[in-house]
Amino acid sequence: MSNAMSKTIHPTALNNSSAVTPGKFTQSLIRGSILAMACWVLSTPLTTVSGSAAGAIGCLLACFWVDRQQRGTSTLLQMRAPALLLLLALTLTVTSVMTGLLLQSAALANLLGAMVLYQSGQSVYWFTLTAAVAIALRHTARRHSWGAIAELLFVASAFVITLAAHQRGMIDRPYFIGDFALIRGLDPSTILMGIGVAAVLALAILLMMENQHRRLPYHAGILATVCFSLLFFVQFFGMPTPQLTNDLGLTGTEGSGSRANNDSPFRDGENNASDREAPVAVVLFRDDYEPAGGAYYFRESAYSEFNGTLLWTAENPDLDQDLVSQFPSSPVDVSAEVPAPELRRRVTTTIGLLAPHRSPFGLDAPVRFEPAPNPNSLRFRQTYTVESLVPEFDFPDLVGRKAGSTDWSLQQWAEYLEMPDDPRYGEFARQLTATLRPEFADDPYAKAMAIKAWLDENGIYSLKNEHAYAVDPAASFLFGDLTGYCVHFAYSATYLYRSLGIPARVGVGYSVPAANRAGGSALLIQAVNGHAWPEIYLQDLGWVIVDPAPRQTLVDMSVEPQDSLQQMLGDMLRDDAAFQAFLDDQAGTSAINWALTLRLLLAMALAAVLSAYAVRVYRASCLGWADEHTLYRVAYRAALDMLAANGIRRRLGESREAFARRLSNTLPAFQTLSNWHLSAAPGYAFDPALALSGGDTGARNPGAGISRQQWLGHTAALRHQLKAQQRWWQSALAIVHPLPWLLSR
Amino acid sequence: MQVLEVESVHSADMDHALANALDHAREVMARLTNAVKAQVLGRDDVIELALIALMSDGHVLLEDFPGSGKTTLAKALGEAISDDQAADQKHSLVPIVPFRRIQFTPDLLPSDVTGSAVFDASTNSFHFRHGPIFAHVVLADEINRTSPKVQAAMLEAMGEKQVTVDNQTYALDPLFFVIATQNPLDLVGTYPLPTPQLDRFLFKLRMVHVERDAELEVLNTWQSRRDKTSSRIHVGRSEILQARHAIDAGVYISSAIKTALVDISRTLRADERILQGNSTRSLVLILPALQVLAAMRGRNYVNADDLETLLPPVLTHRVELAPGSADFAKILRDCMRVPMETLARSTLNPTA
Repeated sequence: MSNAMSKTIHPTALNNSSAVTPGKFTQSLIRGSILAMACWVLSTPLTTVSGSAAGAIGCLLACFWVDRQQRGTSTLLQMRAPALLLLLALTLTVTSVMTGLLLQSAALANLLGAMVLYQSGQSVYWFTLTAAVAIALRHTARRHSWGAIAELLFVASAFVITLAAHQRGMIDRPYFIGDFALIRGLDPSTILMGIGVAAVLALAILLMMENQHRRLPYHAGILATVCFSLLFFVQFFGMPTPQLTNDLGLTGTEGSGSRANNDSPFRDGENNASDREAPVAVVLFRDDYEPAGGAYYFRESAYSEFNGTLLWTAENPDLDQDLVSQFPSSPVDVSAEVPAPELRRRVTTTIGLLAPHRSPFGLDAPVRFEPAPNPNSLRFRQTYTVESLVPEFDFPDLVGRKAGSTDWSLQQWAEYLEMPDDPRYGEFARQLTATLRPEFADDPYAKAMAIKAWLDENGIYSLKNEHAYAVDPAASFLFGDLTGYCVHFAYSATYLYRSLGIPARVGVGYSVPAANRAGGSALLIQAVNGHAWPEIYLQDLGWVIVDPAPRQTLVDMSVEPQDSLQQMLGDMLRDDAAFQAFLDDQAGTSAINWALTLRLLLAMALAAVLSAYAVRVYRASCLGWADEHTLYRVAYRAALDMLAANGIRRRLGESREAFARRLSNTLPAFQTLSNWHLSAAPGYAFDPALALSGGDTGARNPGAGISRQQWLGHTAALRHQLKAQQRWWQSALAIVHPLPWLLSR
Repeated sequence: MQVLEVESVHSADMDHALANALDHAREVMARLTNAVKAQVLGRDDVIELALIALMSDGHVLLEDFPGSGKTTLAKALGEAISDDQAADQKHSLVPIVPFRRIQFTPDLLPSDVTGSAVFDASTNSFHFRHGPIFAHVVLADEINRTSPKVQAAMLEAMGEKQVTVDNQTYALDPLFFVIATQNPLDLVGTYPLPTPQLDRFLFKLRMVHVERDAELEVLNTWQSRRDKTSSRIHVGRSEILQARHAIDAGVYISSAIKTALVDISRTLRADERILQGNSTRSLVLILPALQVLAAMRGRNYVNADDLETLLPPVLTHRVELAPGSADFAKILRDCMRVPMETLARSTLNPTA
C-alpha cells in the first residue's frame, strides 16, 4: 500500500509516466550536459584540467542518477532536504580528508609519481564535489518548484562569472573560446553570452516541462525575449565597463578622469582589490630588454611643483620637460634631451591602451612618441609607439655625481627643491644620512639609498591608512605609523631627498615585475601595477628612480600572471605581416571549408531528394506489376502515399477503420480500398496459414478475389476525389512532395 | 498434389458451411434485436450490448435511474426467447421459464433465489423446489440492496452456471443470462459489489435518459405495445445456442488482435493512474463478445473497430482508479494508443 500512499502524496506526479522513455533520456542528457558545462566553467580556475573534467563527468552522472529516480519509490526523493545536505557534506568531507591522506602518503607517491597522485586526488575530489552539488540541485528542483530557480541561478552564475571577467578585460577566459573567436574577428563575449543564454533557456524549458507548468510557451517566450535583448545589447553597445578606482589617477579621459574628483593623490578612493586584475594596457617590446632592478617602470606623469600643500603636476613649462601630456597625432620628440646616451640603450615599444588614459606613458626614459595603427579599435582605446633610452647604469656610474643639472635656471632649482615648511624632514634626513661612510657623506645617490634603505626596513605597506586627510599626509605617514602605500612612500622619500638638497620628484605610472613577461615579447599592465615612486636628478644621468620597497606588507598585492591574455593581446597588437598572414590563413581555411561543406551538404541533399523521389515512384508504380497476392498491401500503400502527399494522415493510435470512416464523406473510394485491404490482410482477417497454403481462400477472404483492375480503378477514383477536394496549389504541392512514403503509415 | 487439392476443396466446403451458419446466426440476432427493439425504444446501443452479452454467454450490470426501461429491456429479451426444447424432453424435470425477475431486498435469503428442499407429505420425502434463478433471462433488480450472502449465491450461479443447495448441485440452463441493475444514486443501506464480483459481469452499462423524440415515441406507442403481446417475434432457445456455436467457429480473431488486447491491459496495469488493472479473465471473456460484435457487423473477423467499441464497457468496472484520477475513458485512450498503432501497422507487414 505504500505505493498508493505515495500516489496520494504526489498527486501532481501522476501524469509522469514511471518508465524512462527515450524523451526523458534526451531531456536528462541535455540538462546534465548544461549543468556539467556550468560545473566545468566554475571549476576551471580552481583546479587542474583533469580535475575539472572529472567534475563535469561527476555532475553529468549525478544528474542522470537523480533523473532516473522514480517518484514514489525512490528513497532519495523522499529524503528530507537537511538530511540529504548533511549526508552530501559528510561524503564531501570524508572524500576531502581521504584524498588529503592519500596525497601525503609517500608510498603511493613513489608508486604513481607525485603528479599522477595529485591529479587523481584532484579528480576524485572534484568528482565528488560536483556530484554532490548536482544531486542537491536536482533534488530540490524535483521536490520544490523554487528548486528550479536554484538550478537556473547555478548555471547563470557560471556564465555571469565568466562574462564578468570579460567585462574587466580578461577576454582570454576560457582560452579556447576567446582565442578561437578573436582570431576570426568575433567578439568572444557575444559567443559566451549566446552559449549562456542558450543554456539558461534550455534549462528553463526543461525545468518547466519537468514540473508540468501549464503556461510554458508564455514563460519561455518572455525569458527568451529578455535573454535575447540582453544579447543584442551586448552585440551593439558592448559590455558596460566599470570605472577603475585604484589607479592613482592614471586613467580617465581628459578633464574627467578619476583625478578630477580628487585634489590629492592620497585620496584616490577606496582601494578595493576587486578590479585590481583588470588589464589596462599591453606593451609590445620591439627590442629585448631586461631591467636591472627587476621591474619595468612606465612613467606617465610626475609631481614636481610644490603648490603650498603638496607636490603636484608642474604648471611651470620649464619643469619636467621630459613628459608628454598629449597623445601624439604625429611623431613627437620629447623636448628635453635625455643625458648620458652612452649609458643607455634604445628600446622601442608599442603600447596599446585597454582603458582610457590621461597621458601617454613610456618606458623610462621616453624620447619619441609616435602614433601606431590601431589593429583593433574595439579592443584598444589608443595605440602608439614609444622610443625609450632605458638606463643601464652600474653602481660606479651613479656614485660620485652631483645632484641636479647645471643647465637649470635658479628658478628650476628652487622649484625642484621646494617642500613643506617642516623642519622635521631635514632633521630626520640628516639623522638618517649621518651614519654614512665618510667617502659617501656628500654623495647624493648614497644619501638617497640610505633613506630608501631605512624606508625599506621600517615602512609597512598597506592599502588602508589614516593619513589621507592630514594637512601633510606625507608627514603624518613618515612621523606617524609608517603605514601606507606607494604614494606615501614616494612623497616622504621625495621630501626627504629635497630636504638634503637633492632635486627630486614623484614619478607616476606603472611598475611591472620583469618576470611577468614570461619570456614573451608582450607585457600586460594591470590596474594593480599602478605605482608612484621617487626619483632624483643626477648630473649628466638624468632622472634616476630610487624606489623604496617596504619589506613588511599588510596586503597581498600579487596577482595571478595572465600569460594567455598577455600573449593574446600582444598578438592582437602586433600588427605585423606575419600575424596578418596568419589571420588571413585562418580566415582562408575556414572559408574554403565552409564552401566545401556547403557544396557537400547540397550534393547530399540533392541525392537525398532524388532517392526520395525514386522511392515514391517505385511505391506508386508497384500497383501495376506487383504479384497478385501482394496487391492488397501494395495498392493500399499507394493509396496511403497519395493521401500523405496531400497532407492527409492517419493519426497515431487511430485504427485503419476509423481513419477510413473519417474520410468516407469526402473520399468514399478510400473507404472501399481500406475495406478490401483489411479483409484481405492475412493475420488480421484470416489465418495467415491459409494464405501460405495457397488454397482458395475466397470463402473466408473476400479481399483476395479483387482483381488488379478493381484496385487500379478505385485508386484512380481516389485520385479524382482527392483532386476535387483539394485546391489546385495543394494538388501541385502533392505532386512535388518527395516524402509522402515517409509520412504515410 | 492430389491430396492438397482434395484438402483445399474440403476446406472450401467447410468454409461455405461455416459462412452459411454465420449467416443464420446473424439472422437469429437480427430477429432478437427486432423483438427487443419493438418493446424498448431509443436504447439501441444498450440493446446491442445486452444482445452481445447474451450471445457471448456473459452477464450485464445496468446502472440507471428507476423507470428508465431496465425491466422492460430484460423482459423483452426474456419473452423473445421461446423454449423449443420441449420436443426432445431432455430437461423436462427442470421447469425453466423464459424470464424471471428477482427484486433484491435486504431480507432476501439465498434459498429465495436458488430454491430449497421442501417436505412433500404425499411422498414422505424432501424434494427440491426450483427458485426463480432457473430461467433463461433473469432480471436481478437492485442487486446491491441485498446482503453479501445472497449476492454470493447469485454470483456463483452466474459464474458456474449451477446452484448448490444442501450439497446437491443443480445445473442451470446453458442459456442463462442475468441482467442485474443497481441504482447509482440512492446508496443508503446498500452493499456495493466489490470489484472481484463486478468482474463476473461482462458489461457494466450506464443507461442515460432517452432522447426527446424517443421518449415521445414511448408515450405514443405504449398502448399498441401493451396490446400486441401475442404477435411477438420469437427466437428458439436452441437457435440461440446454435448461433453461439456458429459464431464461435466462424469468426476469426487474429493474433494481432490478441496481442493488442494483452498489450493494452499490460499498459493499463503499469499506468500510475490505475491502482488495480483488469484481470486475465476479462480478456478471456471479451473474446466471444468481440466475435459476436464482428458477426453482428457482418464480418467474419474481429477488427480494431470491435476492440474500440467493446473495451470501454468491458474494462470500466474492472479497474480501480488511483485517487486523483477520475476519467477512465481518457486513461484507456492513452493506454490504447501504442498497441492500436502496432495493430494498425501490422496489416501492411508482408506475411511470407
